[in-house]
Amino acid sequence: MQRQNEIDEAFGRSVRHRRVTIVFSTLAVLLVLLGGLNLCIGSLNVPLSELLPILTGQGVESTNYQVIWNIRLPRLIAAAVLGGALALAGFLLQTFFNNPIAGPFILGISSGAKLVVALVMIVVVGGSGVMTSGMMIVSAFVGSLIAMLFVLLVSRRINSMSMLIVAGVMIGYICSAATDFLITFASDANIVNLKNWSLGSFSGSNWNDVGIMVVVVILASAAVFCLSKPISAFQLGEQYARSMGVNIRAFRIALIVLSSLLAATVTAFAGPISFVGIAVPHIIKRALGTSKPLVVIPGAFFGGAIFCLFCDLIARSVFAPTEVSISAVTAIFGAPIVISILLKREKARR
Amino acid sequence: MDKPVYLETKDLVVGYDNVPLLTGVNIQLHAGEIMTLIGPNGAGKSTILKSIVGYLESLGGAVYISGRPVKELTAHELSLELSVMLTERMRTELLTCADIVETGRFPYTGRLGILSDEDRVKVREAMDMVHVWDLRDRDFMQISDGQRQRIMLARAIAQEPRIIMLDEPTNYLDIHYQIELLNVLRRLVHTRDVAVIMSLHELPLARKVSNYVMCIKGDGVVAAGSPEEIFTPAIIDELYDLEPGTFDPVSGNIELEEL
Repeated sequence: MQRQNEIDEAFGRSVRHRRVTIVFSTLAVLLVLLGGLNLCIGSLNVPLSELLPILTGQGVESTNYQVIWNIRLPRLIAAAVLGGALALAGFLLQTFFNNPIAGPFILGISSGAKLVVALVMIVVVGGSGVMTSGMMIVSAFVGSLIAMLFVLLVSRRINSMSMLIVAGVMIGYICSAATDFLITFASDANIVNLKNWSLGSFSGSNWNDVGIMVVVVILASAAVFCLSKPISAFQLGEQYARSMGVNIRAFRIALIVLSSLLAATVTAFAGPISFVGIAVPHIIKRALGTSKPLVVIPGAFFGGAIFCLFCDLIARSVFAPTEVSISAVTAIFGAPIVISILLKREKARR
Repeated sequence: MDKPVYLETKDLVVGYDNVPLLTGVNIQLHAGEIMTLIGPNGAGKSTILKSIVGYLESLGGAVYISGRPVKELTAHELSLELSVMLTERMRTELLTCADIVETGRFPYTGRLGILSDEDRVKVREAMDMVHVWDLRDRDFMQISDGQRQRIMLARAIAQEPRIIMLDEPTNYLDIHYQIELLNVLRRLVHTRDVAVIMSLHELPLARKVSNYVMCIKGDGVVAAGSPEEIFTPAIIDELYDLEPGTFDPVSGNIELEEL
């Protein structure tokens, strides 16, 4: 035991452990707090005293019960799960490109997903079919993979971090423009649906969707967590990762597929959402004081959940009853963080 | 020599994009030996090293590690045999020096890469050996290039391979640390019977530390042998295109042009 303590001390591990514990406790408190606020606040305010009975299944007949169980709870879970997925997708892309401002939205991956979903929606719904959530995810996944492949092609030819981002933004613009074209030509019935969704929102989440997204996101996130070791090795660069026994080809494919799948699931259910993928991993790394995937991956997931709960609360309550698009809110809080990252890097270079 | 052969290449052809740069590279590296590749800039020393470990696709010939063709080894098997120290500059974020050295233990850890107490002891040993234990809690990005270089050496040592491959390990190091680095390598070779293969620019250092020297120039190996055989004016002048008499490979003495 004495020896163990010595080793711990020597590695400054106990200090680190304490920091990790503090950060995760804070995240847990924030998650519960924001979860409660999200359930209570709205056009119909539910008093806190009623919340617990309702959640434990009492007062089935009351309006409050209906509002909580049919509208707010599924929306809350959707925001939390998809927020976590976005943050993880961002973390994976940052690792992959060794670029702190990479993320699914800024690299055009979300917009690629949006384009293919819009396309499939118009074809399917136009043919008077119904778009299932499974189809949404698959088409979003195809779209994000295509956009990802474009980004990869570009990244092979250029070595500069900023150019990669510019290329990603351009891909995003192209996809968004193409989506707008599609919307213009879509029939009236589709337009309403598409327009709302393409702006980004957690509204309209139902239990069926929530079930699917929870399964997909949890599985993908667990897979990401299992990649902690190769991700950690990859942080030293591709060649060192190889020398530590990482099968680099398989690892790259896993990163591409997982980040695309996570980003696609978000886009399928909530439309494209900006900046969460960049801002959250950044904050979490600073808070934890390390970029070790073993703690950053769970941290980023919970951080993303909290960030999206917070933004969703603002999106639907600030101008109530009108809802602001979620992406507008995340951009207001996320974009300054990106700017601060850029400024810090510039300072570090000098 | 009856020590086992750890690394062997047979008629290795290396190059980029299917264009051969060097042909007929035959290396035989035994346990407890230090082999140094020397030659002018751009001659392809790094290319050979990268081809041996498969970072570059070799264009012909074969590489054997402990008698097995390297192509048949999985990435994990190779990581138990060989560790590397590269020249590429790394950009890390919020990682301490200890974090970096700890990654050297990854081949021995489980799926999540959590180190055991034994692994930590090995990390400490490696860092003590290179005298970087005091740097353990410093951010890897906020130390000097020379310090980073030593951290990467500690990382390579912590991996406990049979072969350590170093690409120009003395870059960024002042003479004090150049000598220290070579001493560490010699101690490693002596105590653990590790085999070392590296590229070096500093000829006096190469002469002192190597058991075997290979000269790379043009399209292949122009000379190979013990330091005594290689560090003669004839071979070195030819290798580096020097005017006869301007450099004495034994003393390291340099003659400059008369003004």
